[in-house]
Amino acid sequence: MITLTINEKEVTLDKPVSILEAARQAGIKIPTLCYHEALKPYGGCRLCVVEVERMPRLQSACTLMAADGMVVTTESEVISKVRRGILEFLLINHPLDCPYCDKAGECELQDLVNKYGPTVGRYKEEKRKVPESHKDQILARNMERCVVCTRCVRMCNDVQGASAITIIGRGDRSRMEPFSSASFNCEYCGNCLTVCPVGAILSRLYIHSFRPWQVDKEVETICSYCGVGCSLVVQVRDDSIKRVIPEMGLGVNKGLLCSRGRFGYEYINSRERLKTPLVKKNGRLEESTWSEALNLVAEKLSEIKKGEGGSAIAGIASPRCSNEDNYAFQKFMRMVCGSNNIDSVSRTGFAAAQKFFEALLGQGITANIIEGLKNSEVIFVVGGDPTSVNPILGLSIREASRRGAKIIVLGNAKGLDRFKNVQVIPPVFKDVDALEELLAGVSRVKGVRGEKLDIDQGIRALSEKYSEKMSLDGLEELKYALLDSPSTSIVFGMDLVQRANGHRAIFAVAGLTYLLEARLYLLSDRPNEQGLIDVGCVPDMLPGGRPLNIHDFKTKFETAWGGSIPDKDGVTLLEIIEGARNNDIKALYIMGENPVFNLPDGPFIKDALGSLDFLVVQDIFLTETAEIADVVLPALGWSEKSGTYTNLERRIQLQKKAVNASSGMEDWKIISEVSGKMGYKMAYSEVEDIMDEIAEVSPLYRDLSYREIAKGNCLWPYHGEPLRGEIHELPAMAESAGNYGSDFYLALEKPLFHSGTLSRRSQALMKICPEPTLKISGAAAEKLGMQDGDRVKVSTSTGSSEVSVSIDESIKDNRVLLSNNFEGRGVFSLLTYKLDPVTKAPGIEGCEVEIQKG
Amino acid sequence: MFNETVLKEIEEIKARYPDRRSALLPSLYIAQREFGWLSREAMESVSKALNVPEARVRGTASFYAMYKHKPVGRHLIQLCTNISCMILGAEKLVDFLGTKYDVQPNGTSRDNRFSLVIMECIGACGTAPAMLVNTDFHDNLSEKRIEEILDKYK
Repeated sequence: MITLTINEKEVTLDKPVSILEAARQAGIKIPTLCYHEALKPYGGCRLCVVEVERMPRLQSACTLMAADGMVVTTESEVISKVRRGILEFLLINHPLDCPYCDKAGECELQDLVNKYGPTVGRYKEEKRKVPESHKDQILARNMERCVVCTRCVRMCNDVQGASAITIIGRGDRSRMEPFSSASFNCEYCGNCLTVCPVGAILSRLYIHSFRPWQVDKEVETICSYCGVGCSLVVQVRDDSIKRVIPEMGLGVNKGLLCSRGRFGYEYINSRERLKTPLVKKNGRLEESTWSEALNLVAEKLSEIKKGEGGSAIAGIASPRCSNEDNYAFQKFMRMVCGSNNIDSVSRTGFAAAQKFFEALLGQGITANIIEGLKNSEVIFVVGGDPTSVNPILGLSIREASRRGAKIIVLGNAKGLDRFKNVQVIPPVFKDVDALEELLAGVSRVKGVRGEKLDIDQGIRALSEKYSEKMSLDGLEELKYALLDSPSTSIVFGMDLVQRANGHRAIFAVAGLTYLLEARLYLLSDRPNEQGLIDVGCVPDMLPGGRPLNIHDFKTKFETAWGGSIPDKDGVTLLEIIEGARNNDIKALYIMGENPVFNLPDGPFIKDALGSLDFLVVQDIFLTETAEIADVVLPALGWSEKSGTYTNLERRIQLQKKAVNASSGMEDWKIISEVSGKMGYKMAYSEVEDIMDEIAEVSPLYRDLSYREIAKGNCLWPYHGEPLRGEIHELPAMAESAGNYGSDFYLALEKPLFHSGTLSRRSQALMKICPEPTLKISGAAAEKLGMQDGDRVKVSTSTGSSEVSVSIDESIKDNRVLLSNNFEGRGVFSLLTYKLDPVTKAPGIEGCEVEIQKG
Repeated sequence: MFNETVLKEIEEIKARYPDRRSALLPSLYIAQREFGWLSREAMESVSKALNVPEARVRGTASFYAMYKHKPVGRHLIQLCTNISCMILGAEKLVDFLGTKYDVQPNGTSRDNRFSLVIMECIGACGTAPAMLVNTDFHDNLSEKRIEEILDKYK
């Protein structure tokens, strides 16, 4: 216990903290400028100086640790004089252009000068002149206003780990600049913007468009982009979003954001938003009314159900929609359409992987808190780059690295290039084998655990399959890093799930998790992949992860819902599509998804959906899939509706309505309307009613309410019991991929700046990354005789596309990467797939690619 | 980018320090030697060789006045104009260099032969005025002596 006196007030501390923090705990505010709660103390600005008895000179409160018996004074005439002096110095070069500075009203310098500052400056010298730089598309830099507190640089180096900006020059000529001195070319997290105390770094998204005091309302909500579910605050004026800012200390992200979350909100106001329902008449989609469109959907679905039976109807739910939307959707499919054919695009990764992981290791195995990553001694990253798929989770890995954790990577993870300790990049299509080899190696030293016989047996089989000598350089080092670690986390991306033998990768990762007693994290690139599974938008499980084929569960839901659920498990996503092609599926209801674009072999998918008798698409844009629908229903998007989302660590969070941006209808409401017209009334008057029902029927969300969720920290399983349903026999493992004879292989790039096609409608993200580029290695560029920016034609057996080339030093082999975010030029339209027999995820095939100068 | 020999040299420097960042200043001198000045490419090369972020390399480099932040001619003249040199006519020598060799302080002659930097005291007050040409020291300067000396630097 430390007891000290601050301003004649006795303060007792549980643990040693700085004087600044001790004063804050006692409710005493000490002025600061270079200090920021997200950053380490710096002691640069000297504004926090205090008097400490028996210490010579004034001391900076942010860097001095409180000690027992200290007597501290935080305000006195001397202190005020010093502060005034410091501020006078800072103002020598400050332009005092508050009338048109965006920061006025929330500027720390302005507030400090207001409190302590000199009213007149004594310096007559010319102020330094640095023109405001608008050379970057997103961030404006006004270095005349900069007070060189270095908060931005420290944020960029020590927290974000991007190290994109620095202080240039020295003395009163010092200023912050990115390396290029013009464009930032960085990760565009904008966290420098958050910490800038003055108007030196500004967002060009809203520069000069409003004053901070003109905000009508602030809505605390969560982000719509990825599975982390960051908290953010939406500031609204005149029913339009003025800006999105984080709040320090709040939510999973604790005040940090990524480019998508901070700058990607503009899609909601896109002119391309659907305005009215559309109905196909004479082969063309025409504007229609809600009643005509809804009646048509109800009529057609009833007709098909009557004629062909419920199993001829299928539904595709959306990991971008809320738990409530998805719950209503699966209930509608099961109770009204009489079909268990419900799945989502999550089957291509997250849902497929999680199902197999849970079958092997038990339900909830992937429920780990992101914060926990920071405490791991070793983090093993495989199957994707966490810093681009889930940027804020990626930051935890970077922080762990700074704390001394070993970061080991199998495959490519560009965002960890400066943080990794060991990296092994297996040859194309050999990564699954490398993983298995690693597991075999670990088990050879460690033995098996003897707790799960089927897994033990699987691991033993692998030890026999692979020889003791590892086939790849570095694998041995990787193995020992894992073996030596007292606490390991495994971060598993979805790249290896999208293989025809992806289940083997999952088994290998599950084996490592089991042997090393590691924490497992699945990367999730959509906001509600976990929630979607939890509320039953899978063909074989009811809400709460209850298997459909267990009679008791089924009858329980039938009683609660008042009707009957079909007995047979439904079919998975790609089986639905293939069913449509084979005419087994006649009608498909798609909520918030664009399978034609988001699934491999786009042309085939389009063709399959085209052969349906009836296709309904509910979305916020006229997507490639909506274009071929019979009825298109405009829905509401992020910030226009409320609902709950479950993130990848199974935290249930509220997304709240902030504005009315369009004329669509909530997804759940559209569904309940159709349901009512088909003779099953869903008695929900508002979205909260659905959560109340979920809390009643789902053991996972038992007793959950919006009030509870709003308090934060609602982690799954909330009051409920997870079900331990495990497999008892391993499925047969597929063969290794054969050898391919191509110079280059096309693979999916998951870029930091885009997510699905939503981000395509956000102007800011389009400015950062305006078009798709084919990422190739330096060696490949040399071999092909190409330079950055050259136009090329990329051809596979499925099709071809013209894009420009961009050389990416993080690529070390003959893989070339293309994203799937830009309409008409997505990588999935160039690839085919082969279903993984175990997980039913599409294994990417047909990646042999030819690259020619265009 | 650096060739193998230079990279090896940098590796040796790296080995002298507990962390990579410490090797930054000596590596920047090497980059300057190789590229003539700290161009963007020079700093990128250092960044890559040391795995230190580019921005940090530039920030560090920009702090120090004795790195070359713009291209220089084939030979760099560094002339002192501090008090002893000034009294003995160094400022006239600056003008002389301008008229005779077309080189202004902080500038480069149009034929790219010389660059001129006015430097602070080089400790040759007893034999002032003095200058450095590249790394060679010359003192007791006069217009005539400068002509003789610079004749050797083509």
